[in-house]
Amino acid sequence: MTLTVRQIRTLNRICWTISLLVVAIPFVFPFLWMISSGFKSATEIFGQPSLIPRVWRWQNFVEVFEYQPFARQYFNSLYIALAVTALTLVFSSLAGYALARMRFAGAGLLMLFLISALMVPEEVTIIPNFFLIRWMGLMDTHSPLILLPVFGPHGVMATFLMRQYFLALPKELEEAGKMDGLSRLGIWWRIALPMSRPALAAVAIITFLFSWNLFLEPLVFLSSLELFTLPLALSNFTDAYGLPLWHLQLAATSLAVVPILGVYLIAQRQIIESFALSGVKG
Amino acid sequence: MTSLTLSNLEKRFGNVEIIRGVDLTIKDGEFVVFVGPSGCGKSTLLRMIAGLEDITKGSLYIGDRLINDVQAAKRGVAMVFQSYALYPHLNVRDNMGFGLKVRKVPVEERQRRVKEAAAALKLEALLDRYPRELSGGQRQRVAIGRAIVGNPQVFLFDEPLSNLDAELRVHMRSEIASLHKRLGNTMIYVTHDQIEAMTLADKIVVLHDGRIEQIGTPRELYTRPGNLFVAQFIGSPKMNIMPAAAITLKPAGREVGTGAAHSIGMRPEHLSVVAPGEGMLRGKVVISEYTGAASLLHVALDNDETCLVTHDGPAPAADTEVGLEIAIENLHFFDREGNAIDGKAIAEPAPLP
Amino acid sequence: MAVPATDKNSARFLRVPRLALKHREAVEAWLFVSPILTGFLIFFLGPLIAVFFYSMTEWNLLTQQAAFVGMENYADALSRNPDFWHVVRNSLIFAAGLVPLNMALALTLALALSRPFFGVVFFRAVFFAPVVTSAVAWAIVWKFLLQNEAGAVNQILAVVGIDGPNWLREPDWAMAAVIVTRVIKMVGLNMILYIAALQTIPRDYEEAARLEGASNWQIFRMVIWPLLAPTTLIIMVITTIGSFKVFDHIYLMTGGGPENGTLVLAFYIYEQGFKFFNVGYASALAMIMFVVVMVLTIVQLMLRRKDMQ
Repeated sequence: MTLTVRQIRTLNRICWTISLLVVAIPFVFPFLWMISSGFKSATEIFGQPSLIPRVWRWQNFVEVFEYQPFARQYFNSLYIALAVTALTLVFSSLAGYALARMRFAGAGLLMLFLISALMVPEEVTIIPNFFLIRWMGLMDTHSPLILLPVFGPHGVMATFLMRQYFLALPKELEEAGKMDGLSRLGIWWRIALPMSRPALAAVAIITFLFSWNLFLEPLVFLSSLELFTLPLALSNFTDAYGLPLWHLQLAATSLAVVPILGVYLIAQRQIIESFALSGVKG
Repeated sequence: MTSLTLSNLEKRFGNVEIIRGVDLTIKDGEFVVFVGPSGCGKSTLLRMIAGLEDITKGSLYIGDRLINDVQAAKRGVAMVFQSYALYPHLNVRDNMGFGLKVRKVPVEERQRRVKEAAAALKLEALLDRYPRELSGGQRQRVAIGRAIVGNPQVFLFDEPLSNLDAELRVHMRSEIASLHKRLGNTMIYVTHDQIEAMTLADKIVVLHDGRIEQIGTPRELYTRPGNLFVAQFIGSPKMNIMPAAAITLKPAGREVGTGAAHSIGMRPEHLSVVAPGEGMLRGKVVISEYTGAASLLHVALDNDETCLVTHDGPAPAADTEVGLEIAIENLHFFDREGNAIDGKAIAEPAPLP
Repeated sequence: MAVPATDKNSARFLRVPRLALKHREAVEAWLFVSPILTGFLIFFLGPLIAVFFYSMTEWNLLTQQAAFVGMENYADALSRNPDFWHVVRNSLIFAAGLVPLNMALALTLALALSRPFFGVVFFRAVFFAPVVTSAVAWAIVWKFLLQNEAGAVNQILAVVGIDGPNWLREPDWAMAAVIVTRVIKMVGLNMILYIAALQTIPRDYEEAARLEGASNWQIFRMVIWPLLAPTTLIIMVITTIGSFKVFDHIYLMTGGGPENGTLVLAFYIYEQGFKFFNVGYASALAMIMFVVVMVLTIVQLMLRRKDMQ
């Protein structure tokens, strides 16, 4: 039996596609199962498995909000992530610009200093930060959840990402701005930033997700239910014995994950590129 | 008063000396061209005047004002960049008006001035376009327009035509010349292209290795180059330089001594082909390159030097024996250090020994 | 700095004296970096120095007593506390399982998805989706899926006649489960980095090799793989560092159990510090983690520099 080159190629492609579909199962299945189980009753969850719930129990999504202040927690996550993103964009692009474009004594040392931050996981500094935050009287507030990400290793990573991008911009444009009478701040704001939209978008995306998914810091610094952020709230749907209330937990998890996934599906190319950019640099 | 005075300007990057003490006076309304090979420091010097590079040593005056530490925007200068440096996120109108906006010029005034400049440069139809939608020549014009709008005392041009194709370059060159005539401002122009320098300049400053080699009008530089470097840099094809000892000068049959001269320069276009045995030099044609208007002959002289000759009319074939003649006033004499010596003193008949 | 206007016939001395442009630029630059720098000093460098000093104290939050004990905590960890070596062992097993699995899968997927074909965007999106999902959600769902009898995984296995283990209740299976679910969560990132690297390899090489009669495997082994070497090294270090930092995943799926079978370094630090309040001991552990990660990062930076030359 002989096959033409074209047939071999088609066959090859079909084999690859099937294999990829098989590999994709454990990537997709958890999401589907999560959403479907979020609609099941507590008893059905432990009954015969089925991807489609026998009875769609919308009530779960109401109970999620009754069990704990979930709307409030959702809002906490959202506004903290937005604040962290905004502050990171401003500070990292300011510092990144100075490191890329301005000549000043100590720049090299400063770079080295900042690079060292990339080496240190949050777990290393969390204990002294706990005492620091307590001493500042900021325990059980949202301040540490904003301050630590902005000024920690993530902020430094964003700074380097911005610096890298600024380095590649044509210098003459900024000089033209200087001749036009812009101050340094003006050049940064009116020339460098408008030309750096891709880098700003990348920083915004990864920063937002970083803050949105943060777990250790909320766990350490928060104790009031109404101050919880989503990841902390999700782990908190338990009964009196500390056992998970799966139907509520999964309904809540769906509520937390699906909007992000929706945005991801719409802007997946941009989001994946952002991670590629930060992964290569950081 | 928009004269400029540069006195003993120096620029260092770390240990590297880029500008090694430049003294120069530029008069009000003058068109000055800085020319030199790449790396000679001409752009750095321009950028020091613009305020884009700080001055390591020396002083820089515009009019009577010491501007060493005045910010670029407050020096009253405008610059046209090599890459045009148009803001990609702004359209032509906003690009041209940007500097005025930054300086908080009122809207009506701003619009009027942009309109005037656009009219002068035939840019009215393009005002709403973005830089990426413009051709090279149009971008160039916008870049000039942006400079004009600010009403600067001094215009600076940093190799503004080097990104254009040959035809457009000639065209824009004439536009810049007429712009200067119309505005009458002081203009400083950097180029490595000597044709641009010769055609545009009131005064050419030849730079080499961070130093001024010579300052003069185009004619002066061509007819009386101050040293070997300028002699070979200005003029195309390059001036022939020969050791004085290797040549016997016999204008009109009389032998002439070369005095203190160490080398002698002859421009290819001043040499003419005569019958072998006649003229001052004698050699054999190696190649002749036909360039259209004339031919460029490579002539191997009897003394092993090769000499370029620009020749009109039918070119002699390779291997032809030729004589070369040159008028004595077209000879350039240089001493051992390469500095020019006044030819008159030399080209007198030598006293017989 | 002020120059008195003594020379009255010269206007140039009337100018307001100001900083030289160079100094002005330096001042501005420091202002630009000052927000990040200030925050960095307060919330990062200070704590880093503090943790070093904490690590030399015996400090229990419950008893509110602190005493300087020198290197005792380190000695404790390295020679007296059997938990520590157990944790090290777990962390190494975790890394040794996660890193090769993650990289092999990432590379395979990248090879399959680096060229355009119908569905490539879909597959890339699918394999990357867990990366943008919160680790907490991911861990919760997998914990749900991996329950003993009620878990979907075991129920599906039962359909094909396999009696699945009680995944999260047996130490070895728990470790395996944590590793695999973590790989699925993070493999998309490395896949993207590999795809980016593959796309920078000019097709000429491959085509030249094909003309010389090389098979697909030979092309990969002899052309692609060597060209990917710098990327592979960097991904390896990044992934290894990442494996030492895993906290939320463990916290939510196993809580370090069963029988401390998934107790890894990051989780151990948290437990000692915030559950048992052994501040001194936890700080010593943090310092050890810092040194490990720093060494790995320096290796990475060196590799990267070599790669750039």
